[in-house]
Amino acid sequence: MRDDLAKRLVQSLKDAGINFVTYLPETRLSQIIPLLRDDPDLELIAVSSEQEAVTIAAGATLGGKQAAVYMENTGIYVSSYSLLTVGKQLGVPVLLIVGYLGGVPDQRNSFLYATIGKHTIPVLQGMGIDYMLLEDGVNLEGKIQDAVRGANALRAPFALLFAGEFSI
Amino acid sequence: MIRYECLELLAGRMTDQLVVTSQSGQRIEWAHLSRHEGNLLVGMMGCAVGVATGLALALPHRKVIALDSDGSVLLSLFNLATLGNLRPKNLVVYVFDNGVYSGSRISYPTATSGNTNLEAVARGAGIVNAHTIRDIADFKQKGIDALAQNELAFFVCKVEESLLHREIPRPDTDLAENKYTFVRYLERTEEKSIPFVGRG
Repeated sequence: MRDDLAKRLVQSLKDAGINFVTYLPETRLSQIIPLLRDDPDLELIAVSSEQEAVTIAAGATLGGKQAAVYMENTGIYVSSYSLLTVGKQLGVPVLLIVGYLGGVPDQRNSFLYATIGKHTIPVLQGMGIDYMLLEDGVNLEGKIQDAVRGANALRAPFALLFAGEFSI
Repeated sequence: MIRYECLELLAGRMTDQLVVTSQSGQRIEWAHLSRHEGNLLVGMMGCAVGVATGLALALPHRKVIALDSDGSVLLSLFNLATLGNLRPKNLVVYVFDNGVYSGSRISYPTATSGNTNLEAVARGAGIVNAHTIRDIADFKQKGIDALAQNELAFFVCKVEESLLHREIPRPDTDLAENKYTFVRYLERTEEKSIPFVGRG
């Protein structure tokens, strides 16, 4: 991902009110990690599993933070239990910032990622989790605002899947 | 030692702490003992410690308590590694370890009935203040005293299997209702708005 896109992504998260991010690093969007870490307005929490990335972010949301989880799309599978229980059943909004590996718009797609990518959107749909696919920086700021507003309105997780330009 | 007598002691010490419960009989017993608005009765195995950690990080000036079970902690052992590195000073975790999946109705043994020692796992994960409590006197001393300390504490409370929770009424609020009571309580006591809560 180009540096300018990484900076716009992080600034857009802040502008949308995000102030707490749990994460497991991945490859496509990893340039945002030092930006998140060095920003005094953001609390960045490293975790050991996407399952707890979701539960910790949900706890922070209940405590008054506007929380996001940054993960690879494999983390959607790992965290599906907490997304459904704490996210959907309890009704806690969390923004999911997802590196969408292995999907058709992933510019680094290969056999290694394709199966994971093929099932990501059907799994989100199966769980009833709303999502938006972002392939370029056009209106990035507005899309992130929309996603945070949507998560809060639905009281549920909302996934942003980053591919295309974001995966170069 | 039985879980209910530990919870009775804890309930008597509640002021403005936030209490997150996992799925197990302790959720029912705690709801029976405490009507505190700062109770969040999370009814899912493996989620309470994570939610409590998030609350503790978001509200570092509030004491947060997680009430959990051996089966639930075993389902989310990664929590211990994360806690061992974050070490939130305002979090106390009580794991009521009866060595069985009592919800299974056949009391199938958990790994702690075998070779697994949760205190050792917690210490190995970096939680320095991890202890095993085996009797009520020790719970009163170490377990209750931790509420006044400013340090992450992790207690493995070895309890007998008790089916008392099947004899007392279940909570009369559903999860969503309890969540809103909890966040409204936080809004009042923290004097701030929780962003996602509706304004009508």
